[in-house]
Amino acid sequence: MGGVGDDEPASKRMKLSSEELRRLSNGSPLKEPIVESSRDLMARPLQSEGGEEVVGTKGVIKKVEFVRIIEKALYSLGYIKSVANLEKESGIVLHSSIVNVFMQQILEGDWDKSVVTLHNIGLTDEMTIKSACFLILEQKFFEFLDEGKVMDALRTLRTEISPLCINHSRVRELSLFIVSPSRSFSVQSPKQGTSKARSRTKLLEELQKLLPPTVMIPERRLEHLVEQALVLQRDACMFHNSLDKEMSLYVDHQCARDQIPSSALQILQAHTDEIWSLQFSHNGKFLASSSNDCSAIIWEVDANGVLLKHKLSAHQKPISSVSWSPDDHQLLTCGVEEVVRRWDVSSGECLHVYEKAGLGMVSCGWSPDGKWIFSGLADKSISMWELDGKELECWKGQRTLKISDLEITNDGKQIISICRETAILLLDREAKVERFIEEDQTITSFSLSRDNRFLLVNLLNQEIHLWNIEGDPKLVSEYRGHKRTRFIIRSCFGGLEQAFIASGSEDSLVYIWHRDTGELIESLPGHSGAVNCVSWNPANSHMLASASDDRTIRIWGLNNLSAKRKDTHSNGIHHCNGSTRG
Amino acid sequence: MDVDPRLYEQMAVNDNDIHSIVLSYLVHNCFKETVESFIACTGMKQPSDHLEDMEKRKRIYQFALEGNALRAIELTEQLATNLLEKNKDLHFDLLSLHFVELVCSRKCTEALEFAQMKLTPFGKEQKYVVKLEDFMALLAYEEPEKSPMFHLLSLEYRQHVADSLNRAILAHANHPTYTAMERLIQQTAVVRQCLNQEHGKDVPQPFSLKDFLKS
Repeated sequence: MGGVGDDEPASKRMKLSSEELRRLSNGSPLKEPIVESSRDLMARPLQSEGGEEVVGTKGVIKKVEFVRIIEKALYSLGYIKSVANLEKESGIVLHSSIVNVFMQQILEGDWDKSVVTLHNIGLTDEMTIKSACFLILEQKFFEFLDEGKVMDALRTLRTEISPLCINHSRVRELSLFIVSPSRSFSVQSPKQGTSKARSRTKLLEELQKLLPPTVMIPERRLEHLVEQALVLQRDACMFHNSLDKEMSLYVDHQCARDQIPSSALQILQAHTDEIWSLQFSHNGKFLASSSNDCSAIIWEVDANGVLLKHKLSAHQKPISSVSWSPDDHQLLTCGVEEVVRRWDVSSGECLHVYEKAGLGMVSCGWSPDGKWIFSGLADKSISMWELDGKELECWKGQRTLKISDLEITNDGKQIISICRETAILLLDREAKVERFIEEDQTITSFSLSRDNRFLLVNLLNQEIHLWNIEGDPKLVSEYRGHKRTRFIIRSCFGGLEQAFIASGSEDSLVYIWHRDTGELIESLPGHSGAVNCVSWNPANSHMLASASDDRTIRIWGLNNLSAKRKDTHSNGIHHCNGSTRG
Repeated sequence: MDVDPRLYEQMAVNDNDIHSIVLSYLVHNCFKETVESFIACTGMKQPSDHLEDMEKRKRIYQFALEGNALRAIELTEQLATNLLEKNKDLHFDLLSLHFVELVCSRKCTEALEFAQMKLTPFGKEQKYVVKLEDFMALLAYEEPEKSPMFHLLSLEYRQHVADSLNRAILAHANHPTYTAMERLIQQTAVVRQCLNQEHGKDVPQPFSLKDFLKS
């Protein structure tokens, strides 16, 4: 029998391990008897072994498991001697000796012996044993084929693999390899794979996944547990807004408040009336604002701050919304129940005017490939236009309202708009499928997340609702605190990985919440009128812009930056009075 | 709802038609002696080349049915050249019969070599790869009768191949591939089925040819 030298049946041996080590251990008392721990009843082991040793303060970490995964981690790092020492000192072995023999046999290609050893490890599940045998014999089969020993491979298939009576479809595939080891058949069939035997280490990994974790500790288990903890910490960090904040194992991760933009770095004064919409370009290099004064302004964002680039004054009506082209070279503006204009960003020229006879436009949006324009109309329909002005399609009926946002998803398929006072329409224009978000309150505005999975909805009753719009829309979170009584207030996603929600408010403050926890983390004073809209720079998680009835735009940044500004007033705020750049 | 038997009386059936039907059946299935005596008894005109070819076709069919595919192929080549070249599916099926023979007699090495030489060339086309897999899977089992593909070893399968071969030879010689008898019976069954369904009544059982013949 395969040189294992171990006559004891394996199951007895496994249990012997934990008893053995209690005898071998220095007799350190139990930290906390697991059975009596009332803190975590769910963790009570099904089979009480009469108080296994535990480590840690909560009494849920079993010492044997803890040491074994440490040994595994050390082993993966290559510190074999350390593993041996640790095994000696703790009396806890990484793998029982029979498993070590098994692994050795696999790596050396002693297939027949390894199959025998496998049966002696003491597994209880018949299927697992068979599946493991199958994997081992498959390896034997392929190695024969690689050596050109076709008849040996056939014999293995016939006399060893097939009699296992499992995985017949794989047996089929294998039999085809016999007749054509070089896989000269049609390449279309993806399931054929390669005939070259994989490495024995790979085989060991596959076996490891198959066998119960108590027999063979899974690869990288300790690393996985640590990463799990780090991810949880990061998700719980409410101010996590900077990429370069590395995580350390020494302390729990927690960003300080100073990562959220909360200091007004600039005040932009160029509009002559209330500012209704604000939007950073996709690349974060520009900011567009539109106002009741019938103009829109393109601002340029650079290292020195935000400066006026172009004032676009051709509309005869107040401009309710703007939309950046996917490449940020063009901008759409929509006059209220008027026309939609397309502007060139670098020259400030108006390239095209979109209008429909007798019908005013109420909203505008770009298709994600930049080829088409969408627009809501005063008769509640939505139209789609080619850039040169040719109308391609029109969705009639109650698709939008006179005051509504319009968004197109990144795949170009879904059109989103407020279609009724209390409902938002998600229209799949290809599949012609309609989904709805139904609220109990009147909806005033909405915002689409960058990954298109979520929609932020502003309601009349001062609540902001976050909806998951994948599949059937589901309400996920609610945000409160800001004030809204008479006007349209807009909110947006922002920050690192859009982990924050920002909103304007009628009390002149800018509100910022942590998206996942719903906690209000900042309310920023400064404006002297209702803050109508906010936009968070997609390329700079530390820059937030807000626009107000006080006719100004405020650029918010991190606290420590203000000290570094060259031409600042004493209170550290940079004013820009709308003089155009050269 | 059954047809009033009296209606049958009003349908005249030509004797010659019946003779043709019977003859076509006999010819299709190579009942040579029966054909000869039938022709003699009924005074029908003797079909010219039918008899000689019938003998050959009969032998080919027998070989295929037994599983002696190589003989069947040899004779087919003699009788109808290029037939197998034009009917690749059939060719593959016949070769596979031989493969099956080898597998059943446990001649693994021979079977493997035969497959590599004769069957794998078909593998260039995707549709044959699946069939190839089916047959090769037989090699994977020490007792192919107990494998998932055991039906490939059956008499039914051989019959199916032999029938296909028979029809192909007939087609090659521009003869009908299905007997009038077969077609008529199929027609009747289908029509009766349709009628039963149309009347929408809850017919206790669908049309049964067996029962009809007994009545």
